[in-house]
Amino acid sequence: MTIEVRVPDIGDYTDIPVIEILVKVGDQVAAEDALITLESDKATMDVPAPQAGVVQSIQLKLGDRVSQGSVVLLLEPLASTAAAPAAAPAAAAAPAPAAVVTSAVAQAVPAAASARDIAVMPATAAATAPALLQVAVPDIGDYHDIPVIEVLVKEGDLIAAEDALVTLESDKATMDVPAPAAGRVGRVLLKVGDKVSQGSLVLELDTVGDVANAAVVVPAPAAVAAAAPAAAAPSAAPTPPAPTSTPAAAAPMRLPPGAPAADAAGAGVGVDFTVAHASPGIRRLARELGVNLNLVAGSGPKARITEDDVKAFVKQALSAPPVAVAASAVAGGLDLLPWPKVDFARFGPVEVNPLSRIKKISGANLHRNWVRIPHVTNNDECDITDLEALRNQLNAEMAKSGIKLTALAFLIKAVTVALKTYPQFNASLDGDNLVLKRYYHIGFAADTPNGLVVPVLKNADQKGVLEIARESSELAAKAREGKLGPADMQGGCFSISSLGGIGGGHFTPIINAPEVAILGVGRSTIKPVWDGKVFAPRLMLPLSLSYDHRVIDGALAARFNALLGTLLADMRRALL
Amino acid sequence: MKRCQLLVLGAGPGGYSAAFRAADLGMQVVLVERDATLGGVCLNVGCIPSKALLHVAAVADEVKALSAHGLSYGEPVLDLPALRQWKSGVVGKLTSGLAGMAKARKVDVLRGDGRFTDAHTLRVTLGDGSAEDVHFEQAIIAAGSRPVALPFLPNDPRIVDSTGALELPFVPKRMLVIGGGIIGLEMATVYSTLGARIDVVEMQDTLMTGADRDLVKVWEKRNMPRFDRVMLKTRTVGADAAADGIHVRFEGEAAPAGAQVYDLVLVSVGRSPNGGSIGAEAAGVTVTDRGFIPVDRQMRTSVPHIFAIGDLIGQPMLAHKAVHEGHVAAEVAAGHKAFFDARQIPSVAYTDPEVAWAGITEEQARASGVAYGKSVFPWAASGRAIANGRDEGFTKLLFDEKTGRVIGGGIVGTHAGDLIGEVCLAIEMGADAHDIGHTIHPHPTLGESIGLAAEAFYGACTDLPPARKR
Repeated sequence: MTIEVRVPDIGDYTDIPVIEILVKVGDQVAAEDALITLESDKATMDVPAPQAGVVQSIQLKLGDRVSQGSVVLLLEPLASTAAAPAAAPAAAAAPAPAAVVTSAVAQAVPAAASARDIAVMPATAAATAPALLQVAVPDIGDYHDIPVIEVLVKEGDLIAAEDALVTLESDKATMDVPAPAAGRVGRVLLKVGDKVSQGSLVLELDTVGDVANAAVVVPAPAAVAAAAPAAAAPSAAPTPPAPTSTPAAAAPMRLPPGAPAADAAGAGVGVDFTVAHASPGIRRLARELGVNLNLVAGSGPKARITEDDVKAFVKQALSAPPVAVAASAVAGGLDLLPWPKVDFARFGPVEVNPLSRIKKISGANLHRNWVRIPHVTNNDECDITDLEALRNQLNAEMAKSGIKLTALAFLIKAVTVALKTYPQFNASLDGDNLVLKRYYHIGFAADTPNGLVVPVLKNADQKGVLEIARESSELAAKAREGKLGPADMQGGCFSISSLGGIGGGHFTPIINAPEVAILGVGRSTIKPVWDGKVFAPRLMLPLSLSYDHRVIDGALAARFNALLGTLLADMRRALL
Repeated sequence: MKRCQLLVLGAGPGGYSAAFRAADLGMQVVLVERDATLGGVCLNVGCIPSKALLHVAAVADEVKALSAHGLSYGEPVLDLPALRQWKSGVVGKLTSGLAGMAKARKVDVLRGDGRFTDAHTLRVTLGDGSAEDVHFEQAIIAAGSRPVALPFLPNDPRIVDSTGALELPFVPKRMLVIGGGIIGLEMATVYSTLGARIDVVEMQDTLMTGADRDLVKVWEKRNMPRFDRVMLKTRTVGADAAADGIHVRFEGEAAPAGAQVYDLVLVSVGRSPNGGSIGAEAAGVTVTDRGFIPVDRQMRTSVPHIFAIGDLIGQPMLAHKAVHEGHVAAEVAAGHKAFFDARQIPSVAYTDPEVAWAGITEEQARASGVAYGKSVFPWAASGRAIANGRDEGFTKLLFDEKTGRVIGGGIVGTHAGDLIGEVCLAIEMGADAHDIGHTIHPHPTLGESIGLAAEAFYGACTDLPPARKR
């Protein structure tokens, strides 16, 4: 019953590259779910699933060139469940049809098991009794005894296939163990801090009893065990997304190169190379190049330091700001005092909570950005009295349409116009080059239950305020549901961190490297403004523009902020 | 006055390697050597001649053992002058080869005793008593070490050091070896096979100090028949030369009552660095009280343009260490950024069976609190060792508990010295048990015992009884 999914009519394009594969073997997809993304010279387009089913095998890979009719993947249609969605609530209530659902799941599970090497051991005979699956840690590469840092589900939770169950952390990466099938979580067989290896039992999964419910409930975000969103960032400083790697793509990845700042002079006579995981040949190369191997992260098998790692380290050292190069090896390039060690319990009761994974990842990025980028923040205020009047009026007019114009949408539009006027803000440093971007992708910090994430609104210059409003609220909704993909968070040119809905005036946002500026927006307040004759009550919006002083000088930043203010004061100017 | 870019003092393995390497890197080199031939102690009166004799001894022992395997020869006939000649031939072949290689590299070899007179001059006293000053831009001191002599022993031709013993003056009936280290035990092996009865006296509580006890025990079990007395925790306190032999008195736990009479006494109580006898102070080079010259990882002494390598910079006093240090020094002198970054220096006792070890030993690991895992493959399970009639040995690997990488290894058995090289490479490469165990080793060989020991570490060795469930 497997069907071949082919590339549909994509107009006149032939041989265009696959730039993203959005599903993997074992995934359950709904009709119209995007399977892969193609990119022509004009646009990217998704190939949707023709019907619901389980992905059996993927017939192409990233970079492959395809045309109409090229086979994308093999899909095992979920005949029974596909027909069921509408009827499912009833099915769940009635015992009889449950058997139908069971068979569908029984089909899906072996596919997942064989294709992705998930150790799924039905505890009882197939479809007669409730199928209690023992979910074990799948193949996680060469890691053994790595700690569980997060248990994302608890007994009784309803979960969908591929939902993350627990998060493991090796020295190189964190990875989620996904659910092999939908179901209700039975006993959880491990806890945070346990050390696991391939085959260690994670939990019991009852795949039958509640599958029908689960299938129905899936669309409702509340019931979905959050597949942890890739990255989050503390309020003022969005960090680049660091996708959690699932076992299917569990290639060890390098941590962001935040920690070891370059110390080119660090490989002197006093430096001992006996710990670094590097062969004699690599040690020799490191000596030649003056690289302190103890600061180099290995990308080879078992974190072995390769020739490329040493060269990449040198490249990074050379492109780092001179201050970091000159600094000593201590504390990532800064010769700092050690962190004060205080026994807080001496002064009163305390509670110690380990930092979450997201905090640790974003913390390293924030620290790098804060110490490596010479930040200056330009604070300004702009008059949005008229803008707010317009916004409220438009929202009243469009109340029925369901679209709500947000202040953020206007901010994104105004920022895009300002970026066009001052292209140095739409740039990144790459060694001795300044890369000026000819596209306008604007990131905005979104508050979610899982932390702050920074979805990126693409091609803001080609969109009207209404469209920006619609798209940004869609992205924000996706963020809240934990459904942002890596693609949703990549490619940003400039970020906006708006705390206006919460409060506060000016603050110092941290630049989201490799971007060169970030706009922090505070809460607007009515202030008396001297209009030349009298003080008039005006709604004033605090703007805090942090910029990378290596790229942007103070006068330019002041101009950028002033232009933003002018635009926001009278959005008609954005049309000019 | 001679002038050169690089002067190397001492043409032992470290010195000639440094000189040749520097010459290959384009430097103009003068190599000063007090002896007539190149190669130093190792080639002339150390590693090489002892191996020539040990080879003969091993074959003799093996031939004797063959009678138990169905092949018998008559009693051996010893032709001592011919044996000496064979040994000298081996040495001669190597030293003349070195001389040729020096010439081919245009290394200027100057024969004589060298002493520094200042930081850029070495005065060489030539064979005819005249002196020649050599002015150098940089220098490498590779003046080696000499056997420690016991001052209370009389001056008598029957009391020899390793050099004297290698001359094979005669085969004694009773021989005393003072010092149970590797050199003494190697010579004991040779003389015992040639027919001498051996006593050994050692101040420490064990023979072959430095090696793990479990390795030494295997050697002991097989070699005890060679010895009449093994006197541990015992010191030699005096000796008198008499017509019937050397009368030696002992004190300590195993000291026999009264003096013992020996036909030959070998003093092998260690070696002492020559750093104090080359005028290093005149060049400003720091020398310790004991004659060692401290250096950094680039082999630089306290005077940056003067390097030192080999025995006189510290233990272990081994040729292969000196060679590597010599290369580092030569490369640094030639402007390269070279460093001595080795993680292990192997040691080998060329006794029978051989004892070899590399990296950290269990004793060192325990002493320094290194958490390690251990795996042993007994040669009693090795087809090749059994076929050779020599299955008393074993192969041991030590792994870092944290990283899983191999950090040490020891082998006792025939050819252990040839086998240990793989362990050395594994340590340098940071290999773990799976890397070694999943490397296909040839079968049947003694070398596969290393792969099998690694397999045993992760419970996949099928040539051993099943591992007990942990």
